[in-house]
Amino acid sequence: MEKVDIISVGMTRFGKHPEKTGRDLILEALLETIKNVDKGIDIKKEVEALFVGYFTPTFYEHQAHYGPLVTEWLGISGIPAFRTESACASSSAALSAGFFAISSGIYDVVIVIGVEKMTTLDTSEVTDALAVAADDIFDLSTGITFPGLFALMAQEYFQKYGENWENLQAVTIKNHYNGSLNSKAQFQNTISSIAKKTALKKGCSFKNDLDFLNSQFNPFVAYPLRLYDCAPISDGAAIAILANSKISKRFTDKPIHIIGIGIGTDSLALANRPDLTTSRAVINSSNAAYKMAKVGPKNIDVAELHDCFSINEVLLSEDLGFFEKGHGLVAIKEGRTSLQGDIPINTDGGLKSKGHPVGATGIAMIHEIWLQLRGEAGSRQIKGNPRIGLTCNVGGSSASSFVFIFEN
Amino acid sequence: MFIIQDYINGLKNGKILGSKCNKCGAVSIPPHPLCQNCGDFEVDLFETKGYGELKNFTIIYVPPKSFETKPPYVVAIIKLEEGGAVLGRLRGVNPYVIESIKIGMKVKFDPWLERDNVIVAFSPA
Repeated sequence: MEKVDIISVGMTRFGKHPEKTGRDLILEALLETIKNVDKGIDIKKEVEALFVGYFTPTFYEHQAHYGPLVTEWLGISGIPAFRTESACASSSAALSAGFFAISSGIYDVVIVIGVEKMTTLDTSEVTDALAVAADDIFDLSTGITFPGLFALMAQEYFQKYGENWENLQAVTIKNHYNGSLNSKAQFQNTISSIAKKTALKKGCSFKNDLDFLNSQFNPFVAYPLRLYDCAPISDGAAIAILANSKISKRFTDKPIHIIGIGIGTDSLALANRPDLTTSRAVINSSNAAYKMAKVGPKNIDVAELHDCFSINEVLLSEDLGFFEKGHGLVAIKEGRTSLQGDIPINTDGGLKSKGHPVGATGIAMIHEIWLQLRGEAGSRQIKGNPRIGLTCNVGGSSASSFVFIFEN
Repeated sequence: MFIIQDYINGLKNGKILGSKCNKCGAVSIPPHPLCQNCGDFEVDLFETKGYGELKNFTIIYVPPKSFETKPPYVVAIIKLEEGGAVLGRLRGVNPYVIESIKIGMKVKFDPWLERDNVIVAFSPA
């Protein structure tokens, strides 16, 4: 099996891009990715295949068949290309396809892309589009939504471990702080500064962050989850270029090695799972990735976890073995996952603050790990020369999960 | 082997179907065509009585566009007497009074039709 390296990454800022379509966003991200190749690259000459993760282009842009669409737009028409789909993990599926393509020895250099152009639809239409990641027969027929599915997980977690919504807010507060240090993030404000602005505008006052989050300005979406428990609707694209490690030094002296990959599944229908506080997909994918990388959770220096809803960062941090079941929230409150903590999580602001153009999220996570492991994350760079990073990107209600482990 | 339409037809007739493995005896509600425990192909459909208890719930404030019911409404996980669990709407409770929705409360299957689609729902038993 050939070894696979990342030789460059790039991304658009996440947020609203009203003038740009999916392919425009991809082109913007690609130009940055090419610029970020330390020793330069001629993509027309070097790139042999392309994989693009995009969850539901048919809803947002009335467009499928994104593989050839993108190769044409990037001036590399003719090479092998296809779209990968695994709901919110669609671009981790693209990265997997790229990894397999190189590790099999068939190709030496491939481009993997994640993109989603969501803001063409209004909130209720986006809710409909996202919903197709759930089981149409068993789940959606009840009027459940994605916030609703994660709300059910939160309820079970609170009951099982004696936790509550107030404690959960530590996730949102941390991720907004990290996002305030990220120029690519959709929201670059701390909760304190949002509270202050709201108070000024509305002529009221808040005692602290929690007081604001507990107010009418943070309405319920699906009890017990409120607006600030949910990642936003976003547009964006993120790209990585992969190369066989035998030739990656041609492009950079500081490649990031992919040392572990794991993929797993669980039932889409939520009620079919015996325990909503854990996902078989996450357990299986992390076990496989740890085994391949020959590391354990204690060896991970920095991690990007799929906080589509605040509760999921907690559930994933436990399923990945960073903390015991039921202890994840305590760890966050103690600051163990902050930029100064022993296992910083979502240093880029996470999906909550950075934004969540669902198909782009998996590769945007890799973008952050790339920066952290190369020591290039600027004001949010974690200390101690991090060596090993992990991403966990899930689809839907964690019914699919992709875990990657990276080493510098 | 059953197809998913058998399950939907069952719901329209007021019945939640389950499946039972002929080999290992494992029960699956909602039904699965292959045994979820041992993978055997020989499973039989059966009708549940439609009674169960509330395992968990959420209140939806932002519904999908395709859904007609006005929010807020309650969606719950119902553990059925015969084993297994299904997601369903909870009727006959007040979504504005969260304390009135009690984990463990007994409920019965009480579906309705919306544009010919059956809505899986339960009411307090």
